[in-house]
Amino acid sequence: MGRPAAVVSMARPNASQPVSYTTEELARYDAIVQRYARHVYNVAYRMTGNEADARDLSQEAFLRVYRALRRVEPDAPLESWLYRIVSNLHIDLLRKRPRGRVESLDAPVETPRGEFLREMPDPASSPEAIIEREQLDATIQRVLGTLSEDLRMVVVLSDVEGYSYEEIAMSLRVPLGTVKSRLHRARQILQQRLGPYVDARRRGWER
Amino acid sequence: MTLNHARASRLLSAYLDRELDAAETAAVQEHLLDCAVCRDAYDRLRATKALLGELPVAEPPAEFWAAVRTPQRARPATVAVRRPVFGRRVVWASAAAIVALALATTPLVKGTIDRLHASEIGVDLYVRQHAQAMSAEPFVDRAYLGLMTGDADLVLSGDATPAGAAAR
Repeated sequence: MGRPAAVVSMARPNASQPVSYTTEELARYDAIVQRYARHVYNVAYRMTGNEADARDLSQEAFLRVYRALRRVEPDAPLESWLYRIVSNLHIDLLRKRPRGRVESLDAPVETPRGEFLREMPDPASSPEAIIEREQLDATIQRVLGTLSEDLRMVVVLSDVEGYSYEEIAMSLRVPLGTVKSRLHRARQILQQRLGPYVDARRRGWER
Repeated sequence: MTLNHARASRLLSAYLDRELDAAETAAVQEHLLDCAVCRDAYDRLRATKALLGELPVAEPPAEFWAAVRTPQRARPATVAVRRPVFGRRVVWASAAAIVALALATTPLVKGTIDRLHASEIGVDLYVRQHAQAMSAEPFVDRAYLGLMTGDADLVLSGDATPAGAAAR
């Protein structure tokens, strides 16, 4: 991720302005797509949990790169910028969705008698299911979806994509300490909600 | 550097990620030797991280590649300006209603115009033929001459298709 791609602004580029690029510029864009598209799509997929939204988010991110191409320094690392766009678009998406889907399951439930944390049902319905890789992936994805947006983004960038705390802090423009605490909190929630799968994973190491 | 249990447990994730400095790392290691609760918590965090790291990389669909490689043809700002489904339905319904209305009324309107037109020509032809038939000597007959001067006036006033064209 390296240094921030400060050469490009987060502001929405002028959509009505037609763009015509030289062959070299188009080749540069192709190289950017080649280098980042798969990762950006993967992060978008893990954040949204479905193909349609992942496509919308990542396509929009690359459309912004395309429009801002002349302002992007050649060889500038774009991860930070791209992931920040994905994160912001995802927040926009959550705001526009009906309430029931926006609500985070790890946020406390507010009642007149105070706040309560939700009890999550045991995700493992049968012990045999634990060995089913596909079901495991689906369950992890579903549980990821129960995290609040800020926790989810940090844990996806760290544990799915493998970025360092510093890179994540730069991407999301939050202090290093915030990354540290969000990641720890996210993993704690995940290990609690993925209980039987976590146990199975540990037993795998012991064997 | 010695850590109490609370502080050490908060550092377990960063310890797992090797994001602590040397002194903190040593202190957490020391605490882990003494604390079974933290050892268990650490193992669970490690397993959680491993589960996430083992998720398959989501394969982008062909449409994604097509749209990303030729962004000028992609619909701009699909996420940001997407209208709510209800709004889009209303737009489609009104468009359909306008088309249906146009289809239904076109023959009516066109039929009326045609009938009006036909009746004009019909009357004109009828009068003309009748005047010609009735006139024994057309060039002294007032009705016939009147018809001819009427045609001439129309031509002079610039009508491209004088009413008399059909009769001539």
